[in-house]
Amino acid sequence: MNKTKEKITVTKGRSYWTDSMRQLRRRRLAMCSLAVIVLYLVIVLFIYVAQWTSFDVTFLDWGQKVGEGYEAPSKNAIFGTDFLGRSVFRKTLYGAKISITVAFWASVISLAIGVPLGAAAGYFRGFIDDIVVWLYTTLSSIPYILLILAFALVLRGKTLNLEWLGLGRVELSGIATVYLAIGLTSWVGICRLIRGEVMKHKERDYILAAQSYGCSSSRIIFRHLIPNVFHLIIISFSLRFVGFIQAEVILSFLGLGEKNSPSWGAMIDAARLDLPKGYWWEMTAATVAIFLISLALNIFGDALRDSLDPKLKVQ
Amino acid sequence: MSLMRYCRDKDILTTRSATAILSGFIPFVLLITSGCDLSGNQADSNTTTIYGAYTAKVRGLDPGDIGDTTSTIVASQMIECLYQYHYLKRPYELIPCLAESMPSVSSDGLTYTIKIKKGVYFADDACFENGKGRELATDDFVFAWKRIADIKYLSKNWWIFDNRIVGLDEFREYTKTCKKAADVDYTRNIEGLQTPDKYTLVIKLKKPWPQIIYLLAHLPTAPMAKEAVEYYSKDIINHPVGTGPYKLKRWYRGSFIEMVKNPSFRDKYYPAEGEASDSEQGFLSDAGKKLPLNDRVILVLVQETPPLWFLFMQGKIDVSGIPKDNFAEAIDLSGGLTLAMKDRNIRLLTFRDPSTYWVGFNMEDEVLSKNLPLRKAISCAVDRDKYIELFTNNRSEPAYGIIPPLMKTYNPDIKKISGISYNPQKAIKLVKEAEKIHGSKLPKLTLSMPGTDAVLRQYGDFFKQCFSQVGLEIEIDYTDWPTFQNKIKTKSVQLFSLGWIGDYPDTENFLQLFYSKNKSPGPNNFNYSNSEFDRLYEQVCVMADSAERDALYRKAEEMMVKDCPAVFLGHGVAYILVHDWLYNTKPHAFAYGLSQYRRVDTAKRASYDKLLRKLK
Repeated sequence: MNKTKEKITVTKGRSYWTDSMRQLRRRRLAMCSLAVIVLYLVIVLFIYVAQWTSFDVTFLDWGQKVGEGYEAPSKNAIFGTDFLGRSVFRKTLYGAKISITVAFWASVISLAIGVPLGAAAGYFRGFIDDIVVWLYTTLSSIPYILLILAFALVLRGKTLNLEWLGLGRVELSGIATVYLAIGLTSWVGICRLIRGEVMKHKERDYILAAQSYGCSSSRIIFRHLIPNVFHLIIISFSLRFVGFIQAEVILSFLGLGEKNSPSWGAMIDAARLDLPKGYWWEMTAATVAIFLISLALNIFGDALRDSLDPKLKVQ
Repeated sequence: MSLMRYCRDKDILTTRSATAILSGFIPFVLLITSGCDLSGNQADSNTTTIYGAYTAKVRGLDPGDIGDTTSTIVASQMIECLYQYHYLKRPYELIPCLAESMPSVSSDGLTYTIKIKKGVYFADDACFENGKGRELATDDFVFAWKRIADIKYLSKNWWIFDNRIVGLDEFREYTKTCKKAADVDYTRNIEGLQTPDKYTLVIKLKKPWPQIIYLLAHLPTAPMAKEAVEYYSKDIINHPVGTGPYKLKRWYRGSFIEMVKNPSFRDKYYPAEGEASDSEQGFLSDAGKKLPLNDRVILVLVQETPPLWFLFMQGKIDVSGIPKDNFAEAIDLSGGLTLAMKDRNIRLLTFRDPSTYWVGFNMEDEVLSKNLPLRKAISCAVDRDKYIELFTNNRSEPAYGIIPPLMKTYNPDIKKISGISYNPQKAIKLVKEAEKIHGSKLPKLTLSMPGTDAVLRQYGDFFKQCFSQVGLEIEIDYTDWPTFQNKIKTKSVQLFSLGWIGDYPDTENFLQLFYSKNKSPGPNNFNYSNSEFDRLYEQVCVMADSAERDALYRKAEEMMVKDCPAVFLGHGVAYILVHDWLYNTKPHAFAYGLSQYRRVDTAKRASYDKLLRKLK
């Protein structure tokens, strides 16, 4: 008997995430956008590290006078100077810290509220669902900007009692007010999305299996459901990040944001007075900074959705 | 309101201070102007109309409860007081308006006898019998003042009479016992307000109060017809009934106000004397002419400065302040008009405001109160010239004391006396001295700003830079106005940015800001206390106008500046642009009821469009 060896080629399986990331890496524009985002994040991290370590970095000292007031862009000040002769470039860099920090914490807060509420509503249905739906319907019926403004005004100057966490009393001012206001008002979208997705997943076999094994509801939600809808959270995070940066700009423009250090919104607000006089550089610098990060986040967010969403997966 | 604010009512007072800081360096205030073409409103070609523009909403035209500058200026075209400022004479001088003459004052300064003019009639109004205005009587003043005292009326102007007139405070107490507004008996006799006959008013004061004369030129003390109050009730704020040169025809809130000549206005004439230069400048060309010199006044609400500037440049508005953003367009480097303005035959008027702006120290603050070198260091660290250049387009004079140059008691040597000037090196030395007194490194200071807008943030950035260059750390606390007000009242500010626009040309109005009995929540926001200053203030504020009094005022200011309770920043200078068809536009720091003096050359105004086309 002629034994022929049958050569079996074993193709190593790829996980959902590996597959998605592979797809994402193929998108050049998305990768460029990611590079821009990473650049912004590096700047912000660098500013934080420099602050924590009291590391004196000249180009981060935005309060330093580098020339005469309203100097046009030149070698000395590449984005020009403001009314007090401070570098607009340094202010723009520093503004990234405020905007990114606000957007990050606002996203975290909104996800921390929206995801558990949406998952609980979708999983338990009934009374809990009614309450959550009523809550987000009511919130979403109020115009978004007005709601943020109201929250920002109410929170401003308030003291948060975190003694139970060992953090003492924290006074809400400037940046903290901004991200709290944005975070507390913007969880509705993600809550609604997670609720719908959880309702869908709840009927699937793996959940029935988990239930048959006698898993508790919290285990099913946090160990089974949320990991399976996590791609939605990531997509939402990236896309909403842009919105939060813009909300921070609006709040700062309206005088409700950070006041003792430069932010893009505050720069635009200040430049509003300078623009009629022909001093365009501060406005330009802030808007270009916002434009670049917004564009990058939007492109990257879209690419991420295309890669992670099973329905939209393109081979 | 910006003009006429005194020391008693805390809310009003601080509101007034806000006006000072918020509007002070943008002297873009209501101006009685002409040129805004509300086409279709012209009655006929022979009608001369003064058009105006105002930048803040008119809140109400009831003089008893009037509290803001815009409303006061509008109402003052229709309502008159016992006295008024002479239109042309400088220094500012009070002259009789509804009064027949200046008051006769008893030797102890406690009794004022005032005769009013006969034959003065209220403007015709539906509130009067047959719609025909009746003759003014002294009872109308007593009624108006009782009304302000009436607690049920809740007038914001009670501060004027608080603890001043014999029996009026008791009347106020009585009104507190009444259950309803209708229960208040206005016929109750008040000892300090007597009317022996229809044309004589006798005022008895509790203590000498020479400043009363200025208050009698202030709109809330204007007479009020009882019939009008009864007829219009709460709607009286929309129906001013006065004796002035104009009467209200139409008022569309948020749009415009139209006033027409009051046909029953008495014979009043354009002044025949003024300053020496007035004749040369043409301000006496209309001397002796019957007032008002025009038939109608239309005031348009334009809240944003860009459209207002646009209207002015298009010849739709005759008079305008210069918005900060358009300053370079209007004024050249030498301080004169640019060619573009001259081509349009626009004239420039400048005058000193009775105003002072400062960064105040809370003299009860632990760090600041016992550390004079620190206060002086801060004062020496602030570059006033730069501040004036950046935020006022050089439309201010540097300040080193509280009394503005407009006042006759202004001391030109106050800078030398105070020992303060912009000197960062000196400030650094003083900071070291201050640290020795403090015993350690000075803590971070907090400067409170009365708002959160971009301009105030720029102010804040500026101060931060000034402080940091002499080694002082400062945090700027931007708060909304009510929070700021509350912090001031509760003495919980450390440093604060404010200002004051004089209510009347008496130095007492400025020095009261440092009287210890006026500490917060009163107008002494510095919480400054100096017994010697207090003694001097108490002595001088009851004295009649004299050279001796002026010298004592200066002495009091010197005493105060040596203690350095504030960084005095600037005294305002107003810049006004006028089109050439408007005459009699002499600038006035207490600009009430001035429309009557303006004259318009309608032919010149009509030719402006041609001029614009030619320039294009």
